Amino acid sequence: MTELRELARRLLSEGTVNAVLGWEEGPRGARPAFVTTPDGADRLIFDHRCVHNLASYLSPRRPHLKRLGKVAMVLKPCDARAVAGLIRETQVPRENIVLIGVRCGGVVTDPDSDAALSEATVADRCRGCPDREGRLADHTVGTAGPGFPGPSHRAQKIEELAAKPADQRWAFWQEELSKCVRCHACRQVCPMCFCDRCLADKTQPRWIESSPHARGNMAWHVARAMHLAGRCVDCGECERVCPQGIPLGLITRKIASVVAERYDFRPSDDPAVPAPVGTYRMDDPQEFIL
Amino acid sequence: MNVYQPFRVRVEEKIDETADTRTLKLKFLDPDVANTFDFKAGQFGEYSVFGAGECTFCIASSPTRKGYIECSFKTVGKVTSAMKDLEVGDVMGFRGPYGNAFPMEKMHGGNVVFIAGGIGLAPVRCVIWNVLDERAKYKDVTIVYGARTVADLVYKRELEDWGKRPDVKLWTTVDPGGETPDWKGQVGFVPAIVEKAAPKAENSWAVVCGPPVMIKYTIPVLKKMGFTEDRILTTLENRMKCGIGKCGRCNIGPVYVCKDGPVFTAQEMAKLPNEF
Amino acid sequence: MSTTTFIRTEDLKGLVADLRAAGVGVAGPARTSDGAVDYRSINAFDDVVLDAQPRNSLKQFFLPPTEPLFKYQRKGSDVAILEISATFPPRVIVGARPCDAAAVDVLDHVMNWDYKDEPWFGRREATTIVSFACPGGDRSCFCTAVGLGPDATRGSDLLLVPAGDGYYVEVVTEKGKRLVDAYPKRFGAGAGVDATLSYREKARASVEGHVPARPDVIRQWVQEHFEDPFWADISLRCHGCGGCAAACPTCHCFDIVDEPETLDAGTRRRNWDTCQTSVFTAHASGHNPRADQCGRCRQRVNHKFAIYPARFNDILCTGCGRCARTCPAGQDVTEILTRIVAMATGQGGAA
Repeated sequence: MTELRELARRLLSEGTVNAVLGWEEGPRGARPAFVTTPDGADRLIFDHRCVHNLASYLSPRRPHLKRLGKVAMVLKPCDARAVAGLIRETQVPRENIVLIGVRCGGVVTDPDSDAALSEATVADRCRGCPDREGRLADHTVGTAGPGFPGPSHRAQKIEELAAKPADQRWAFWQEELSKCVRCHACRQVCPMCFCDRCLADKTQPRWIESSPHARGNMAWHVARAMHLAGRCVDCGECERVCPQGIPLGLITRKIASVVAERYDFRPSDDPAVPAPVGTYRMDDPQEFIL
Repeated sequence: MNVYQPFRVRVEEKIDETADTRTLKLKFLDPDVANTFDFKAGQFGEYSVFGAGECTFCIASSPTRKGYIECSFKTVGKVTSAMKDLEVGDVMGFRGPYGNAFPMEKMHGGNVVFIAGGIGLAPVRCVIWNVLDERAKYKDVTIVYGARTVADLVYKRELEDWGKRPDVKLWTTVDPGGETPDWKGQVGFVPAIVEKAAPKAENSWAVVCGPPVMIKYTIPVLKKMGFTEDRILTTLENRMKCGIGKCGRCNIGPVYVCKDGPVFTAQEMAKLPNEF
Repeated sequence: MSTTTFIRTEDLKGLVADLRAAGVGVAGPARTSDGAVDYRSINAFDDVVLDAQPRNSLKQFFLPPTEPLFKYQRKGSDVAILEISATFPPRVIVGARPCDAAAVDVLDHVMNWDYKDEPWFGRREATTIVSFACPGGDRSCFCTAVGLGPDATRGSDLLLVPAGDGYYVEVVTEKGKRLVDAYPKRFGAGAGVDATLSYREKARASVEGHVPARPDVIRQWVQEHFEDPFWADISLRCHGCGGCAAACPTCHCFDIVDEPETLDAGTRRRNWDTCQTSVFTAHASGHNPRADQCGRCRQRVNHKFAIYPARFNDILCTGCGRCARTCPAGQDVTEILTRIVAMATGQGGAA
């Protein structure tokens, strides 16, 4: 942590950046921090409660954050995949941010948790994660724990669902999505949901009904899954933020595995690696068209 | 039956004011409603196109003219586009009247200056008719109305009528560059023409409505002429949904535009936070 | 009303069974499939979980996330409006928390402001709220700072406080009395109020002090500091996700939409909405008075702690703390309010 704080203090006092975006201790555990003065660097922390994906704060659609100017961002290896996605999709110019990679051995899902990081408490998406440090960084600080092996509990749940007949799978999702109240928190926290005007907010025509009934909810979640396929980095924020407890992580995990299988793509923290959306290869599978 | 259910109204007439502005004349289907419906100048309603949604407009006709109401709208979004598609004879919906009104009784015995720009003439027109239908109750009546170009002037036929009346001083204007070769009115921005018209401020009320930039430059002109802020009236447009103070959308600072407005004095507007 | 009575736990189970047998809907806090506790339909008192604040609030029972206002049917150029009934089957909520019951009462003001919201009051009339005094909260609870408490009776028809082999019952309203009178065998003599005192004190102690109990100071500061940099500061971390509004028992802003179901027919609905979204105040012309999160964060605090109190002499918040618990970015209402009081009283500045 001293390493991180000293680096942040230096970047701010030298004027390299106007703000450092990282984590601090809040009233309910770790939370995003916006440090704008060298003295403020002492607030910065990093530990296993720093689950938040800060990349969503880089979206150009947040004018109140754009006003901060050039920022440095503390990022875990998985967050780096989201930042790479934003750079790849030309939402954030690489030269506009200083990236402070932090070595990571896994996080828990609840930033307010008192529990130590363990097999029992680690977030499902950390299981089997091979990255102790990211490659997309200008500086790298910290030490990492050993990480956690798979399998992912979600992968098991997805297999269970896949083994069921289609009508039972449909019934499962009807049940889960009936809880949705269309608050769109899942969209707001997602780093890859940065559209100026979301499809779901368009009225001419109304592509997706805004009402939280079965029809509207299914349309929203299917559309979001389709729009995220190949772009979602499976950071799990959508599931963490949902006030209704919908297992959105099953959807994100599923689309990631479909994209991996069909297009041989896994979200990469290298912005130069082309993503399936926007890339055409002659050998792309297309039996669903022809 | 609940408070969100509209009255059904039928389109009696549709008049194209400009390329993108239309006036609809509406009559209530239910004879009881048609006979008893009343409102005050300045109030608004929620107009429905069933299937498209609701939209907020002031009632552009005067309460002195019974049996029908009018609204004028510019096609900007989903509901206004659907309203543009309506034909004479089609049924739509109306909820209202909602909101507060212009203080007509207070204005009796005074001079009234109407200042409007573009489609801002619609809510003002309601008051103009109201005044002209009871002309004896008021002293001098001045109307200053302008638009970007001649084609953008609304209620052209009424402007002609008002211009012909000896008991009304009418000034029409277009922005510099907006005039046609045979344009006989003024050329200049509305605030400049208000200065030219120089209505007297004593015992006078000003009713102002138009684009925010027009209002911004007109109010200082009026104050310079001696109008006091409590006698400069305007009507505010804000995004609304329920119209009855429940959905929270039209809240500006401590005020709900649908309940405390839409009519405000410049004095009240000055107290509002800059959030409209 | 100041009558009291007593119900043994066995009789409480029996009461719920009686209600179900009579076809009365019963709802209460119960486990969900993902291990949380939500207010939901229950069949037996055994399903009720009383040791955790439910994740959702009672709001959904009176203002559903989506509800039809009426249906329309087009025939040529004519349109028929098909009314939706505003009478609802009787229902009892068993196990409401006092912060949640009070919230429903707070919302009655706006729902009855000059125009009576029939769907809201139809559901209010059909519902009896049996609250249980709260055992205590966590650090995000601050009901006592907004004029309530773990054993507040506001909004409840009956308030049950654990005592002896059951619950001491405060009969708060006529409606509560009607419930007691309808099932006289279930209620009787038992432990008196003294047996409830230590429970109430312990609960109160767990929530006091999280926010200074100065709603008047908060209101004044918020009214006088519309342009303060404090709002820009707290808005940095806010995603505008609206999770706070969804979880909140008093947030009631809604949208009205038309949904065609066929070319000629459809439904006009009202849906939950939130001032936290970027499109809430967006005009069709493109103009947006609250174009960034700074104004939107300010609006939430302003509406709850200044505007609603100025209009209805009531705070649009019951101190339940759900917004702080659900926020993915660590925005904390107790922190915000404490900072405001500090700034207002000159004791400490913006952090």
